Amino acid sequence: MSRGRFVLGGLVVAVPLALALLGPLFAGPPGPRSVSFALGEGHWLGTDFVGRDVWRQVLLGGRTVVVTALAATALGYLVAVPVGLLAALTHARWLEELLMRPLDVLLAVPSLLLILLVAAAADPGPVGLALLVALVNVPDAARIVRAAAGEAASRPAVEALRMQGESWWRVAVSYVTRSALRTLAADAGIRLTGVLYLVSTAAFLGVGAAPDAADWAVMVDRNRTGLFVQPWAVVVPAVLIVGLTTGVNLLFDAALEKKGRARS
Amino acid sequence: MSPGSFVARRLLLGAAQTAAVVLLVFALTEALPGDAAVALAGDQPDPARIAALREALELDRPAHERLADWAAGLLHGDLGTSLTSGRPVTRYLADGFGPTLLLAGLTLALLVPLGFGLGVLAARRAGGALDRLISSVSLAVYAVPEFALGVLLVTVFALRLAWLPPTAVGYGTDLLGHPAALVLPVLVLLARPVCSLSRLVRAGMVDALAAPYTAHARRYGVPERRILWWHALPGAAAPAVQQLARTADWLLCGVVVVEALFVIPGLGTVLLNAVAERDVPVVQGLAVVFGVVTVVLNLGADLVAHRLTPRAGAAA
Repeated sequence: MSRGRFVLGGLVVAVPLALALLGPLFAGPPGPRSVSFALGEGHWLGTDFVGRDVWRQVLLGGRTVVVTALAATALGYLVAVPVGLLAALTHARWLEELLMRPLDVLLAVPSLLLILLVAAAADPGPVGLALLVALVNVPDAARIVRAAAGEAASRPAVEALRMQGESWWRVAVSYVTRSALRTLAADAGIRLTGVLYLVSTAAFLGVGAAPDAADWAVMVDRNRTGLFVQPWAVVVPAVLIVGLTTGVNLLFDAALEKKGRARS
Repeated sequence: MSPGSFVARRLLLGAAQTAAVVLLVFALTEALPGDAAVALAGDQPDPARIAALREALELDRPAHERLADWAAGLLHGDLGTSLTSGRPVTRYLADGFGPTLLLAGLTLALLVPLGFGLGVLAARRAGGALDRLISSVSLAVYAVPEFALGVLLVTVFALRLAWLPPTAVGYGTDLLGHPAALVLPVLVLLARPVCSLSRLVRAGMVDALAAPYTAHARRYGVPERRILWWHALPGAAAPAVQQLARTADWLLCGVVVVEALFVIPGLGTVLLNAVAERDVPVVQGLAVVFGVVTVVLNLGADLVAHRLTPRAGAAA
């Protein structure tokens, strides 16, 4: 079952991922603009709301989604891992409270609401969007890191290492962090799926991407007006986003199941 | 830890979260780059408008005084007035409330039976064909953003088959009178929460059905149906109740997207319009309401979950 799901996930994610990463290399220079929402007329997938070739926009539009999502996930962990580890390994109760309590409070704010609030003040742009999405992921990720590291730090092995006179740093990095890595790998898949969701939804709502940007989510939004005339400009990017998100989720789930079975 | 101290601690956290939401939302005007009034004027930077904005936001007064006034107003149900129309923010809330409540209510009413039903159905024969189908589909659909799913459903059911209207344009706030216009929005809103809820219920049920106490009940000859619904389900319900509250976060995101997609004049549309127009008091008022609702729902769910399984420390 897991092998089937692994292959399925890989196949589903391969097309959008390849288009997103390699598409811009094959896009070529922009052709002359033609009529809005035209079908055919030398355009394989027709034209979009301002008369650009849809196929070229599709080739160009995946990179922002994928790169923003990957950057936001990495950034989120960059903050969450040290915070969670420190909270789990410190013996000072006040430090743990100081690190974790503010995050509990932040956890209460709905993620899209925070993004929209910031967007009302100033347009964040792609970089700002990545930072924001990373920020809303920090509380949850830090809690998971702390729980995993806290569990590892209370094992008899850590006690033994301490009694052997290993330094705090060595115990923390070589044992506790490595033990927590497995949980982190499981969390990374779920988190990447959530981040992809948030990044593309924000772009669809017009946050973090220019209104005429070559971005699959923006294409879905802007070309909706022509859905009845020229559905390809909406359907193709929407299907690619569905493939990307479901594929990533299926792939990570199957990979973890495989790993879990190999260990048990 | 005694139950009393857990409830007290959880209530304290809830209060802190509410205060944080209010502070965070207020901080928005302070976070505007440079002069807030100039930043808000945006495309129309004429001096009269900037002066009017400065006057309306009372930017000449110190921040802590404005925060105190605003918070005091919130306690009395006064959310301020819009910068663009001069109408009170509460009026905006009242206008958008109906459609959003209808969408969220319908979704929740269908979500609970569907989520629990599918979860129990999958867990009944764990590893069977039906379980594999439900698990795979829910895993796949779980990840799909509402806008992509919605647009594809519109293409198939409104465009190709012409069974349902593509948007709710022209129906105004009278959505109940046009149930066909509600089918696709509710379907899109349901998709993700049903998947996550049924997966959680399934996992909890599989554990509960393998536990010694259900084996014991079987040995006593308790019918399987009764074991399933009466003995195993309550044990699996606690994490699901908490997930139901987390769904509030999703439902909020979902409602904003679905209202934009199907052109439904609810709170999500009001919020998006206010964001586009940089109508700060309206954005702040809506954000406070959304944020506090989320905090209260999570608080309630944690207390209920704590009641169901007192030994698990819940998420305080």
